[in-house]
Amino acid sequence: MSYGEDAALEQARSGDSDAFRVLVERHSTAVFRLAYRMTGNETDAEDMVQETFLRAWKEIRRFDGRASFGTWLHRICANRTVDFLRSRNRWQPALTSGGDNPDAEHDPFRSLASDEPSPERAAQSAEAGAMLEPAIAALSEIERTAFVLRHYEGLPIDEIASALGVQAGAARHSIFRAVRKLRRALEPIGSAQ
Amino acid sequence: MTHLTEEDQILVYYNEPGTNNAKKHLAECAECKAAADSLARALSVCNEWTVPERPPEFGHDVWIRLAPQLDVPARKAPGWHGFRLWAAAAGFAVLLLAVFLAGRYSRPTPVMDAPVMAALSDQARERILAIAVADHLDRVQILLTEISNTSETSPEVLAADRDRAEDLVQEGRLMRQSLEAQGESATTSFLDEVERFLVEAAHAPDSAPTQAVADLRDRIEAGSLLFKVQIVESNLRSNLSNGEHKL
Repeated sequence: MSYGEDAALEQARSGDSDAFRVLVERHSTAVFRLAYRMTGNETDAEDMVQETFLRAWKEIRRFDGRASFGTWLHRICANRTVDFLRSRNRWQPALTSGGDNPDAEHDPFRSLASDEPSPERAAQSAEAGAMLEPAIAALSEIERTAFVLRHYEGLPIDEIASALGVQAGAARHSIFRAVRKLRRALEPIGSAQ
Repeated sequence: MTHLTEEDQILVYYNEPGTNNAKKHLAECAECKAAADSLARALSVCNEWTVPERPPEFGHDVWIRLAPQLDVPARKAPGWHGFRLWAAAAGFAVLLLAVFLAGRYSRPTPVMDAPVMAALSDQARERILAIAVADHLDRVQILLTEISNTSETSPEVLAADRDRAEDLVQEGRLMRQSLEAQGESATTSFLDEVERFLVEAAHAPDSAPTQAVADLRDRIEAGSLLFKVQIVESNLRSNLSNGEHKL
């Protein structure tokens, strides 16, 4: 049986796991993107995808449709990943010098130099990677999450506040702090572009 | 002329609502325009951070791993099965506390005839209490999350939430008393704050369930309660995983 998004949601809310499967298959990649940017590595990100959908299944009857299902999933993912990062008390970037690293082919900054880059472009991208990774790692979990949700996911501030369980003002200031820190770290590259 | 602050510029960059005046100023002020361009250049570096591609079958793979864990069907409304799970979890927490208290207060004449409990060290009992408090906060977090994400509700759902809140009040009181006996203050104060909210939730009025949930949601947001619960629980679990068990 094929489902549209709304029909799948309605069926899933009534306990139909086949319908939920449709939603999982449709939204997994987007949830992975968010989790990857928050955790910095693929293994943890994939675990967070599982956690997100498991929680979503348990809570799906609470989904009220005020936001889109994708946004609701992002909230769950952000919450679970913040908890995970706090419990691990660290951020695990995938970026290494390559070589022995089995994840090196998925190095997030390797792709900066994709599409047959010029040597200058490759050098600039490598420099960006070298500066971006510690800059992001230096953010607090809340700052990183708020920034990722705003900058990469395009969520409005009130949605970010809801995902983080804080008031809008606190979410806004987390974004300000994150941008300020990143700007300080990245300005040498930005001004060279 | 008042120039834009960096915060104003960030809000403009992200095209936040309420920035029309700032945008007008930017169009007229070369100094602020230069600063905004500098901000945009710095942030454009972040745009180059791409995520590793997933294969087309990624969603299917996620489902294959997930499906065995979905053995409990989702429910339209809270039912007996959910209540039993909740009660079992709460009961386990109380049992853990009983172990803690039996060891702490019953020597040299243990109330519970359980050699295993008597054999536990103070350290083990403190660890058990820390686990029980973390589990309690996890259940509180689930309830707060559900309330925070609910816009409309029915009397049945509200009644189930009320019951859970009442269970958590009882459970939390036991833990608070145990902590007070240890002389602990920070976590005790926090449990007290959580309890005040739970008491309110346990007495939410039936007459207007949606408004009652909205009021509870406002309480959660005003005190950043969900955020605090997440942090305290996370710190507890982090300490436990590092072999520390002091609350």
